[in-house]
Amino acid sequence: MSTRFGGLKRLTQKQDVILNAICLLFAVVFLVLAAANASWAGDILTIDSLFVTSVFALLALVFLANPLLWAYERGYIQSFLAAEDELTARKDAEPVHFEGSTKLFGAVLLGLLVLTVVEVALAYVDVGLKLMLTILIGLSVIKAGLIMAYFMHLKFERQSLVMALIPALVVCICLLFVFFPDGFRLRNVRPESPATPPAAHGTQPAH
Amino acid sequence: MAATAEVHHNPQLVADEWGGGALPFRVGHKKLGMWLFIVSDALTFSAMLIAYSYARLSSEQWATPFSFYPSIIFSTTMTLCLLASSFTMVMAVAASARRDRKRARRWIGATMFGGLLFLGLHLYEWMHLINDYGLKPFELPAAWLARWPNASPLFGASFFAITGLHMFHVLTGVLYLGAVAMTIKRRTHEDVEISGLYWHFVDLVWMFVFPLIYLMSVDFHPEQMPH
Repeated sequence: MSTRFGGLKRLTQKQDVILNAICLLFAVVFLVLAAANASWAGDILTIDSLFVTSVFALLALVFLANPLLWAYERGYIQSFLAAEDELTARKDAEPVHFEGSTKLFGAVLLGLLVLTVVEVALAYVDVGLKLMLTILIGLSVIKAGLIMAYFMHLKFERQSLVMALIPALVVCICLLFVFFPDGFRLRNVRPESPATPPAAHGTQPAH
Repeated sequence: MAATAEVHHNPQLVADEWGGGALPFRVGHKKLGMWLFIVSDALTFSAMLIAYSYARLSSEQWATPFSFYPSIIFSTTMTLCLLASSFTMVMAVAASARRDRKRARRWIGATMFGGLLFLGLHLYEWMHLINDYGLKPFELPAAWLARWPNASPLFGASFFAITGLHMFHVLTGVLYLGAVAMTIKRRTHEDVEISGLYWHFVDLVWMFVFPLIYLMSVDFHPEQMPH
């Protein structure tokens, strides 16, 4: 650093230590709360308990952001976030050569088609609602991941671009955890409907 | 890491990336703009799908009227159409990277064809539901109410809203691709890549819409459907 800021250097270091300590303290508190909730809750796989755990984990992440950035700036974290050409990030247009062969993309397409067929076949098998939803959403996420990584070329892009998409995913998960407990609550407090279902209802699951 | 020695004790280096005149994500501003748009649009669709899931899970009963023919067959074909069109779009981007503008235009044409096929099949599905069954946004057809008396009337609204918004995106995508294909001589490779990103996003959304709306509402006993 230049001598102009030389006098401030020690002060900056002291500031950094205090700020990092406070942030780390808060992060640890929230992580402990998340873990404590997991042990107090009994059944962690309820939506309510998952919601609380994820909210605490998210808050811990927020407070961890600053110390992590500080450590990254000082090179303490192996910068997997940057491509090897970290220093040439400035002013270089992305290379025009397009990684990935036709064979690779054809294989990805084949995988996507197979997963689609599996999903459609699954729709006609009665595995119970929870398992069906889990498998369907799981397969859809895999398909989405394949499309994003290969077709949208994210696998060959700089990691920081991928990281920029993660918050959207976090928001989605939080939305799920916010609304679904209320959905179950609403279903349980609904008054009984006057019309009775006909006898020919069969094995159609009422969801 | 060769970078570590220079980054170490030189926070100015990281700051420079964000100080302007550099490419922090190593993509140009137009591509970054498209990615940010995709993130926001993905959240819009997520909100709609979550709202639909909320309405469905909190209601006593939900109609599950999609018979194998035509609904499931058509929607599966539509899925295959979109997947194939995503592949042709990747081929178009690869051709454009090789500066082969003619081939790129042909591949984009194939992608547009897939999109138009999707739209045609989907519109047929809509007309089938609206005209043959009489499905309305907030009112179930009498035949379905006879079979599922407590079914939520929101079936139509959720179905038409979500698939309608997606169809609108497909239509816009086809028009966008058409514009790129027609002016391909003046387009850079980046422009073709960006239009590809939008098209893959449309496909991505369908990957979630298809299972949640169609596959979760499969009719196991079509013989029970009153006519």
